[in-house]
Amino acid sequence: MQRRHFLTSLAAATALPRLGWADVGSPAFLAAARDPSGGHALFGLTAAGAPLFQLPLPARGHAATAHPTRPEAVAFARRPGVFALVIDCTSGAVLARLTPPEGRQFNGHGAYSADGSVLYTSEVVAEGSAGRVGLWDAARGYLRLGEFASNGIGPHDLRRLPGSEMLVVANGGIQTDPSDRTPLNLTEMRPNLSYLSPEGALLDMVELPDLAQNSIRHLAVRADGLVAFAMQWQGDLAEAVPLLGLHRRGAAVQLCPPVETEALAMQGYAGSIAFCASGAEVAITSPRGGRVQAYDAEGLEIWSLARADVCGLGPDLGTGTGFVVTDGAGLIASVAKGRLAPLARADVAWDNHLVALG
Amino acid sequence: MTRPILALTLATAAAAALLAAAPTRADVAEAVTQDILPGYARFAEATAALAEVAAQDCRAPALRPAWNGAFDAWLGVAHLRLGPVETQGRALAIAYWPDPKAIGARQLAEMQAAADPGLTTPEGMAQASVAAKGLFGLERLLYGPDYGADSYDCALAGAMAQDLAATAALVAAEWGSAGSGGYADLLLSAPAPENLTFLTLTESRQALFTQLISGLEFVADQRLGRPLGTFDNPHPERAEALASGRPLRNVALSLAALQAYADALGGPAPLTDAAFTRARTLAEALPDPLLGGVADPSGRLKVEILQQAVKATVDAALGEIGASLGVGKGLNAVDGD
Repeated sequence: MQRRHFLTSLAAATALPRLGWADVGSPAFLAAARDPSGGHALFGLTAAGAPLFQLPLPARGHAATAHPTRPEAVAFARRPGVFALVIDCTSGAVLARLTPPEGRQFNGHGAYSADGSVLYTSEVVAEGSAGRVGLWDAARGYLRLGEFASNGIGPHDLRRLPGSEMLVVANGGIQTDPSDRTPLNLTEMRPNLSYLSPEGALLDMVELPDLAQNSIRHLAVRADGLVAFAMQWQGDLAEAVPLLGLHRRGAAVQLCPPVETEALAMQGYAGSIAFCASGAEVAITSPRGGRVQAYDAEGLEIWSLARADVCGLGPDLGTGTGFVVTDGAGLIASVAKGRLAPLARADVAWDNHLVALG
Repeated sequence: MTRPILALTLATAAAAALLAAAPTRADVAEAVTQDILPGYARFAEATAALAEVAAQDCRAPALRPAWNGAFDAWLGVAHLRLGPVETQGRALAIAYWPDPKAIGARQLAEMQAAADPGLTTPEGMAQASVAAKGLFGLERLLYGPDYGADSYDCALAGAMAQDLAATAALVAAEWGSAGSGGYADLLLSAPAPENLTFLTLTESRQALFTQLISGLEFVADQRLGRPLGTFDNPHPERAEALASGRPLRNVALSLAALQAYADALGGPAPLTDAAFTRARTLAEALPDPLLGGVADPSGRLKVEILQQAVKATVDAALGEIGASLGVGKGLNAVDGD
């Protein structure tokens, strides 16, 4: 009893002077990386790409999501993930280690509720890859609260719509071998974009009947609720298919093909997606094609840029319409209107995602 | 006891001879000035010759040799998918293959049906869809069953030849020469403050090395892999440039070009050279110019062995040339999510 009382007091005492994101030295981005020795870490970066902190990860990381008010982030393992780490970004301390329940695997992404009390994680049932959204109590030590169906196979990215508690999930449609990443159903896959209530009720869903092999994997949401989704084509790579889609709940989905001369430049693969700060442009990256392609909010391609192994992507907070990219050679650069300006370089290989905070 | 020592001595001597024989230290500069720029110059010359023939005599028997010469020259540089050839989809406008949905054939049929005289002007053809024109657009015309019967086809072929030559000339001009301020200088000058394409020498090396690997993979996965299909479902009809009888020739010329490129970029690389030599020897010995044997078990095995030899060359080049240049495949490019 005494010990328990002490712990409660301690928690209350440390909780009182709550630190906010501004107290950390304001990281603008989080990004996972591989260091030269082959180890993995999560970095906090300023808007100019300077590292503010570096936290070791037990294995290759994928994405992260930031708590809306506390300087706290969850870094997710690459799928099939067996860990997610809740990190205090002021001290580098690991506040909680999340392990998926028996028979579940993390799938690389997650999001917080608007007040930060609940963390939602994208998960699969290991056998069969049926999608789940895991719920964790972010107000009380990240206890597992429960789960509900994601309405599809192999969910990957998951976002909360701004100003709302509604979730949007990219159900990629790919069933994978539970022990590795081998896809098992490429000829029968049916990806979808699903809108779910915080209780798990299906509110809306869109599919791509003519492009069922285009796995919907990554999401970007604009303040007004416009959802941009990035796809990875599992069909013949010599076929030019759109890799970007735009959708607003209740409206028809809009697929956004690139200009004809760029049609095959992405090699059927979009790795990351982001809106710029103003929301006027949305970009996708392809490390396989070594390309950044930017589109306007009507879905017309407006510029592209060649950059080897580019993948991480976020808004350039210093400009209205620019982006920040990271690549496997350690570069952090700002790109706007098809032009690149290096910001910083680190002796690491930046992994898939650059996660913008705030 | 004496035999292993003798063998070792011979191997050392052979290695020393190889090193001594290397004319210059291979690297970015050698690859650009000794291989890439001459390759684009040859392609520009061959397509200019094709356009010249087409302007005089557009009948198939006259045009076919010049078209084959242009295709041969293209294979000398077709593995290079960076810089000017990537601008405005030029690589696609030169050679749109594979084309699994037969977009090129469909668009060509539409062009022929519409018979728009504006399309056969240089400006018109420059604006035309990339899938319909280029080497494969010309192949469809020159090796098609009805070519030459009417004058619109003739004008179309002339315009395509002219457009191809213009594109090739533009690509060569934009590469420029060392010191001319073209794309070549971006590769050669890194690192330089104003060079935002290649920020370091390693990035230049990485970019050129990637062309070698993806070029070899294209031979294995597309030129050989498409007709191979699967054992139960082979697709000999999907071979590249089948109508003109070039499927195996394209494989052999690609491998020759890639070996020369690898030599210029990576220098003495005995394992890679041996792998190239084995693959090229297999290709030259294959009595199947159309790769049609993929549909029967014994013929198929020979093509599969060739494909494996090309894949083994990828592994050798990654291990040997990649290591010597300090580059490899990108973390994100190899295995994303």
